[in-house]
Amino acid sequence: MADHFVDDIEKFEAKETAHTLPVGWVILFWALILWGVYYFYMYTPSLGGWSQNSALEESLQK
Amino acid sequence: MAGELYNKPILFAVVATVVILIGTLVTMFYPMMRQEMHPKLDNLKPYTALQLAGKDIYQREGCNNCHTQTVRPLKTEVIRYGDYSKAGEFAYDRPFLWGSKRTGPDLARIGGKYPDAWHYAHHENPQSMFPKSNMPKYAFLKKAMVDPPAIEAHMKANDFPYTAADISALAGKTEMDALVAYLQSVGTAVKKKASRVVAEAGARQHEKNPLAGDAKAIALGKTLFAENCEACHGANGQGGIGPSLADDVFFGVKGDVADDDYFEVINNGIEPGMVEEGRVAKDTMPEFKALGKDKIWSLVAYIRSVQGK
Amino acid sequence: MNEYQYDHQTVKGFILSSIFWGVVGIVIGLWISIQMWNADWNIAPYFTFGRLRVVHTNGLAFGLGVGAIFGIFYYIVMRLTKRPLLFPKLARVHLWVFNAAIALAALSLFAGMNQSLEYAELEWPLDIGIVILWVMFAVNIFGTVIKRKEEQMYISLWYIIATVVAVAVLYIVNNLSIPAGLTKSYSVFAGVNSANVEWWYGHNAVGFVFTTPILAMFYYFLPKSTGLPIYSHRLSIIAFWSLIFGYLWTGAHHLVYTPLPDWIQTTAIVFTIFLIAPSWGSVVNGYYTVGSDWSKMQSQYLTKFFIWGITFYGLQTVQGPTQALRVVSSLIHYTDWVPGHVHMGTMGWVTMTTAASMYYIIPKIYNTEIYSVKAANTHFWLVLVGQLMFSVTMWITGIQQGALWKATNADGSLKYTFYETLIKNYPFWRLRTLAGVIFTVGMLFFIYNILMTIRKGSILAASKA
Repeated sequence: MADHFVDDIEKFEAKETAHTLPVGWVILFWALILWGVYYFYMYTPSLGGWSQNSALEESLQK
Repeated sequence: MAGELYNKPILFAVVATVVILIGTLVTMFYPMMRQEMHPKLDNLKPYTALQLAGKDIYQREGCNNCHTQTVRPLKTEVIRYGDYSKAGEFAYDRPFLWGSKRTGPDLARIGGKYPDAWHYAHHENPQSMFPKSNMPKYAFLKKAMVDPPAIEAHMKANDFPYTAADISALAGKTEMDALVAYLQSVGTAVKKKASRVVAEAGARQHEKNPLAGDAKAIALGKTLFAENCEACHGANGQGGIGPSLADDVFFGVKGDVADDDYFEVINNGIEPGMVEEGRVAKDTMPEFKALGKDKIWSLVAYIRSVQGK
Repeated sequence: MNEYQYDHQTVKGFILSSIFWGVVGIVIGLWISIQMWNADWNIAPYFTFGRLRVVHTNGLAFGLGVGAIFGIFYYIVMRLTKRPLLFPKLARVHLWVFNAAIALAALSLFAGMNQSLEYAELEWPLDIGIVILWVMFAVNIFGTVIKRKEEQMYISLWYIIATVVAVAVLYIVNNLSIPAGLTKSYSVFAGVNSANVEWWYGHNAVGFVFTTPILAMFYYFLPKSTGLPIYSHRLSIIAFWSLIFGYLWTGAHHLVYTPLPDWIQTTAIVFTIFLIAPSWGSVVNGYYTVGSDWSKMQSQYLTKFFIWGITFYGLQTVQGPTQALRVVSSLIHYTDWVPGHVHMGTMGWVTMTTAASMYYIIPKIYNTEIYSVKAANTHFWLVLVGQLMFSVTMWITGIQQGALWKATNADGSLKYTFYETLIKNYPFWRLRTLAGVIFTVGMLFFIYNILMTIRKGSILAASKA
C-alpha cells in the first residue's frame, strides 16, 4: 500500500548523459560572461567614461 | 569532496547562503557604506507636519502604484516633466516613492506646477478636468480629518523638527489639505530651470503672433484650449480656477498686454512673484512649452478671438 | 491508513488554501483590469485601484504562490527524504497561521496600511508574523531533511534549501523599519539607498518565490510524471549555483536611469544578462529530458504543462534581461510592457507548473487518478490562450506608450500630452480584461477538477475503511 509513496532516487537522473553539457549552452554561458566584461567597461563612468547624465547633456546639444 | 556537499544539508545551506550573500554585499551592502548613497541637496527641507500627513495619505492610497516620482535623464522626459531627478532630493523619503509604473504621469516635479485649487478640484473629480481619465475620485479626503497625535508620532519616528504649534495647527485640516500640501512640496528642492530645449523656439521680445487672425490657427487653438486650458479657465475662457481670459485684466491689473506676453506665460507657466510688463503674478500655472511654438501661437490667436481682438 | 496520511492532510490543506487565495487574487485582478479603462469601478476608499492592486499582487504572490510552495515543498521533501515530516503538528499549525496571516494581510491592505515597498507592502506587525511563519516552515524543512532516510539530496532539495535561506535574508532586511504606531512605520533606509535595498529584495522575491521554488517542482515532477530521467546532472549543478549566485546582483535593473549611481545599474545589467545562461540551463535540461521521448507530450497530459511552463520560463528569462538593457529600458520602463512581462512569468511559468504539480499530488495522496484529463486539457488551452493574449496586448500597448511619450515634432516639442497617450491604451486594456476572463475560466476548470478528484478520493477511502 505505502510502497507507491516511496521514490526511487536512482530513476530521477539519466546515467549515461549525467556529465554531458550541451555545446551550445556552454558557448552561451561563456559568451554572456565576455559580453558582461565589455558592457561593464563601457558603461561604468570611471572606466569607459559613459554616464547617464553626460549622455543626456549630449542629446540636448543635438 | 564536492559530492559530499549534496548529502550534508547544513553544509549545503551554509554554502548556499554564502553564495547569495556575495552579490548582496557588493551591490547592496557596500554601496550603503558609501556617501554616494546618502546624498542630500543643501536646500532640501524635512517635511512639515502637514506635508508628512499628506505623504502618509499618498502612501496609504497607493498613489505610487500609478505615478512615478523620478524623471529619467532622457531628452523627451526632461521636456515633458522638467529637470531630471537628483539623488539628493530624496533624503527624507523613508522609503523612496519612485514607483514602477506610469499609468498616470510622473509627479517628481509636481510641486508648484499647479495652483492648490487645481489639485483640490482634480482629486475630488478627475473626470471633471480630464473626462476620460481613469484616476479614481478622492472626494472622501475632503471629509476625512488629519489626526494630530498620530502625525506627531510620525514626525518623531522620522526625526523631523516640529513645534507644538505645528501639531495644534493640524487640527481642522482635512486629508485633502494635507495631500495637496505634500504634492506642492514634491521636487521643489531643485530650482526650475528655463528649458534648454524648446525655450529657444520661444517668442522673442515684442514678436507679433505670426498666426494672428488665421482661421485655421484659431480652430486649432480652440481644440487645444479645450484639452489643455478649459479645466481652469472655463469653456470660453470666462475663468474658474484660473482667471478669466476674456477680459482685459492680466496678472490682476486692468489693461491689455502684447501677444508675446501671452506666449511667454503659456510657454513658461507662472510662478508667484514672476514679473510680466511690470505686473507681479500671485498665482501658479503650469508651463506648456512641450506644445511647441505653433500650437502656443494658435492658442494665443484663439484667446485673442475670444477677447474679440 | 499509512504514516504519511496526517502530513498529506496538511499538504492538501495548503493546496486548497492557496487555491482559495488564488481565486481572491484573480477576481481582484479582473476588477483592477476593468478599473484601468473605467474609473467608475473604483469604490472609495477601500476599493480604489491604489489599494486593490496591492491586494492582487500580495494575494497571488503570497496567498496562491507561497501557499502552494509550502504545501508542495512539504510533499516533495517527504518523498525525497523518504520519511514523514519531522514535526507534523507544527506543519498543521503553520497551515492555520498561514491562512490567518494572509487574511489579515488582505484586510490591512484594503485599509491602506502600506509601507510602499513593492511586494513588501505589509506593515511591521504582519512582517513579524511572516518571519515567524517562515521560521516554522524552515524548522520543519531542515529538520526533515537532516533526519532523512535517503543519503543523497536530489536537485529539488537544493532549490528548496536555497529558497528557505534566501527568502529569510531578503524579507528581514528589506522590512527593517521604525514603527510609528501599530499600523504605520518608516523604513530605516531612505531615498536612493532605500530604492537599492527595495529592488535587491523585489527582484529576488521574483527569484526565490517565482523561480527557485518552481524549479524545485519542475525537477521533481517532470521525471515523476513522465518517467523520464533528468538529462544532465552536471548541467543541473552548474545552472543551480550560477543562478543563485547571479540573482542577487541584479536588483538595480529595476532602477535604470534613476538617480542610483551608474556603476550599480551597470553591474545589475551585466549580471541580469548573464542569468540567461543558468535559466536556460534548466530549460535545455528539461527539453533534453523529454527529448528522449517526445510522445509523452501527447500521451501524458502533465508533460504539456511542464514543457510549456519551462518554455515560458525560457521566454521570460530572455525577455527580462533584454528589458534591463538601457536602450530597451528607456523605451518600455514604466509602461504596460512590464505587467505584460510579469504575467507571462506568473500566468505562464508559475501557474502552469504549480497547477500541474497539484494535479500530480492530489490523486497520489488518495491513491487514485485525476478526475478528468479532458478538463485538465481544457484548463491548459484556456490558460495558454488567456496568458498569451494578456502578454501580447500589454507588449503592444507598452511599446505604443513608450513611443508616444518620446514622439516629438520638428521643432523639438512633444507630439502628445500625457492624457492623449493615456486614452490610447483603453482598447488594449479592454482586451486585457478579456484575456483575464479566458484565463480565469481555465482556472475554474482546474479548481473543479481538483475538487472532484478530492471527492472521488474521499469516497474511495471511505469505501475501503
